[in-house]
Amino acid sequence: MAVDITLSVNGVPYPLTVDPHASLLHTVRGDVGLTGSKEGCDDSECGACMMLVDGRPVNACSYLAVQADGSDVTTVEGLSDGETLAPLQEAFLTRGGVQCGFCTPGMLVSATALLDRTPNPSEDEIRTAVSGNLCRCTGYDGIVKAIAAVAAERAAQG
Amino acid sequence: MSVIDTPAQGSSTPERPRAFIRPDGKEKVTGLGRYTADLTFTGQLHAAFRYADHPHARIVSIDTSRAKALPGVFAVVTHEDVPDVRYGGMTQDRRLFAKEKVLWEGDVVAGVAARTVEIARQAAALVEVEYEVLPAQPDYVANMAPDAPVLHEGWAEYGADENLVRDGNVMSRYVIAKGDADAAMAGADVVVKSHYVSDASQGVPIEPRALVAQWTGDSVTVWSSTQVPFAARSGVAHTLQIPESKVRIVVPLLGGGFGSKCDFHFEAHVAILAKVTRRPVRLVFTRKEEFVAPDHRREGMDIELETGVTRDGRIVARRGRMVLDKGAYTGEGGFFAQMAAMHACGPYKLDTVRVEAFLNYSTNQPAASIRAPTAPQACWALEQHLDEVAAAIGMDPVELRRRTLVAEGDEGPAGQVFEKIGAKETLEAALELIGYDAYLRGELPDDEAVGVACGWWPCFGVPSGAYVKLNGDGTATIVTGAQENGSGSVMGLPILAAEILGMSPSDFSINYQDTDAGPWDMGSSGSQTTFNNGRAVVEAAQEVRAKLLAMGAEKLEADVADLELADGTVRVKGAPETSVTIADLAGTGEPILGKGSGEVPEAAASDASACVGSLGMESFLAPQLITHAARVKVDRDTGVVRVLDFAAAHDSGVIVNKVGADGQVYGGVMMGIGQALTEATWTDEEGRQKNPGLLDYKLQTASDGPRIQIRWIEIETPNAGPKGSKGVGEPPSVPTSGAVGNAIAKVIGRHVDQLPMTAERVWLAANSPAGEDQ
Repeated sequence: MAVDITLSVNGVPYPLTVDPHASLLHTVRGDVGLTGSKEGCDDSECGACMMLVDGRPVNACSYLAVQADGSDVTTVEGLSDGETLAPLQEAFLTRGGVQCGFCTPGMLVSATALLDRTPNPSEDEIRTAVSGNLCRCTGYDGIVKAIAAVAAERAAQG
Repeated sequence: MSVIDTPAQGSSTPERPRAFIRPDGKEKVTGLGRYTADLTFTGQLHAAFRYADHPHARIVSIDTSRAKALPGVFAVVTHEDVPDVRYGGMTQDRRLFAKEKVLWEGDVVAGVAARTVEIARQAAALVEVEYEVLPAQPDYVANMAPDAPVLHEGWAEYGADENLVRDGNVMSRYVIAKGDADAAMAGADVVVKSHYVSDASQGVPIEPRALVAQWTGDSVTVWSSTQVPFAARSGVAHTLQIPESKVRIVVPLLGGGFGSKCDFHFEAHVAILAKVTRRPVRLVFTRKEEFVAPDHRREGMDIELETGVTRDGRIVARRGRMVLDKGAYTGEGGFFAQMAAMHACGPYKLDTVRVEAFLNYSTNQPAASIRAPTAPQACWALEQHLDEVAAAIGMDPVELRRRTLVAEGDEGPAGQVFEKIGAKETLEAALELIGYDAYLRGELPDDEAVGVACGWWPCFGVPSGAYVKLNGDGTATIVTGAQENGSGSVMGLPILAAEILGMSPSDFSINYQDTDAGPWDMGSSGSQTTFNNGRAVVEAAQEVRAKLLAMGAEKLEADVADLELADGTVRVKGAPETSVTIADLAGTGEPILGKGSGEVPEAAASDASACVGSLGMESFLAPQLITHAARVKVDRDTGVVRVLDFAAAHDSGVIVNKVGADGQVYGGVMMGIGQALTEATWTDEEGRQKNPGLLDYKLQTASDGPRIQIRWIEIETPNAGPKGSKGVGEPPSVPTSGAVGNAIAKVIGRHVDQLPMTAERVWLAANSPAGEDQ
């Protein structure tokens, strides 16, 4: 039995008919066609699928599409217009926060959620905020430095 | 020699951000880049495998009729549908689909292509396989007993490297012998024996592997998340018995590999399904499959070491016996016995040596290259053993290393005489960064300690090729067979070419990861892309440089000797206003391109006359030296270990791309800490994995990580890669667990003799009475 829902993804409404068991991740990657969010485990362990649902970070692999009916969903593709990078995206590149890049979309979404609620986080708070996002390449160093740098820039700008 | 430091997070002198960002960076941070699982093809089908139902069984019959009858199924293939050939690196011991026997739980019996993933998996379950179940043989040490049933019964008939010493379930045996170790041991002041055992672990790229195959006429293209597209091409051609020219492997963005995506794996399985169905066929692994199905994990190892020393710290004899778990098949890991034996010697002056290493078949998941194969486990054992030796002669373990590490002119285990290397410099650097003096002064709490470990890793000199072509707008394109898996070659190669052509690294695009485009390359493996492909890019860029200078000389009516390339122009030295832009020269329509491979550096001469089973790695080409130092805190009540501070000092030659090199160390150290403390594949009594998921196979998270400081010891290495560079990707995982282990031992007063050093094992070691085995 398929269900009619409307997902607002990065500000664009998508009226969709989905299976009740379809995950938000599969729906966004398949029906919506945005493949930036990755599937690394399908078990809420790696964080590569992280999306914001009404501003809250969720593992979209373990979140049903029908649960997000009527919600505002933000994926990595929605963090910038694709031309001018968001400060976090820029900082990930300039501070060594990106290697293979597979964890990067989820990592950026978690970092965005952190800075939205905690504009001036400590290093411990940064590490805790992305501890649900596994990265095998960077040892997290460039990622933590990038998030800290963006927070510091924002604080300096008042 | 020069030294470059990378301050840790929280340092008062934070690094300035980099101006040159990775060329593949923007697509990665915006989510617009495509990894293999992001590709979809019109009319595509989905593949699923039927894996072995027992770790060891004879196949009596396979009936695919019920699977084929399921609506939505387009094909079910078995060994009957592919040529009857075996494949494998140094021994050809495996078929695409199991025929006579299954030899481990991940052996592939059948492949299905269906309209949806769900139907494909359902059909795979409907394949009826009748087995004669045989006893599993997961005990790789017991498998070398004379009466152990031979797993590959017919393997005398298999194709194999002539240098392999094969016997029963011993896939290969290797001996390093230097002098008379038995006599020297008998004459030593003190002899220390140790026994260490390492569990198997995994590469765990965050991207589970994915493949899509599509045929055009009699040619097939496979998009694959592989680290080694040319090896994958060879594998498809060999197993399907078609010419290599009919196979094209394309690698979209690659989501990490760490060795696990080296070698030919599933490209031919998907290709045959696509051929039979005449449709594109797609295979994306689940996380569980990524753990269980690849013939690729870090090998389990049983290590006995014995060292004889004088009281003043001279190593007069080293004996060792190492048994490695090869698992069911060889894959590309046939050289592991030799590599492990070299790491049981380590970068130390040893008067005499006799180390014997066995690589044994078992009914476990096959082992193959994972970031510095064999080295982390062997180094972990050796470095803890050395601390035991130091304790036995009442010497500080660092002082023992000072006296025994190799330097220029010293001789390696198989007679290699070392050229200029920075082993001792890395030791002193790591001690300074970690604050070893303060530790010796007793300034740490009693639940903390500092452990130190040294290690080494070779460079692999292999052929490689690249083209550099100029574009009409004054930019350039590097067309290369090299591969990028997060390793940074997209940055290092442009940096090298830009310097030669007076251009900016950001002026270069790269056409790569496509076997139809670039020349052959070994792939992203063996820490060798800069070392080998860098050399090729340099030579190609030199050819372009010569052409530009000749064209510039004609245009400017000047002598070539008076010209230079700078700022995107050819110009007269000392008169930069007399210039012509590269864009002008390249925009005339005449192609300006260069090709290169460069001369392959050869490993140093060695005397392997006393060695057995020689596979050419008795000497280490341009050896990379490493010292790691770890400050850890041990909770004696729970056995939980936390690494608080970490120093990594590396001689990787001259660093071409610092942000990339630093990234390798940060990531490699974290992977090494994971392997030290939490990462193991746990199995049941028949060798089936019990923790094939990220909840129970615990990687380090951002919250677990220590403060990591890096120091690069830049030595002018003879016979090195471009600009004096060596490799960098694998060494950061080599001595990590040894450093952590030595630190733990200093806190609890005993060495943990099993890897990983889990909380339970640390607690047991700390709480078992002295002299009693754990």
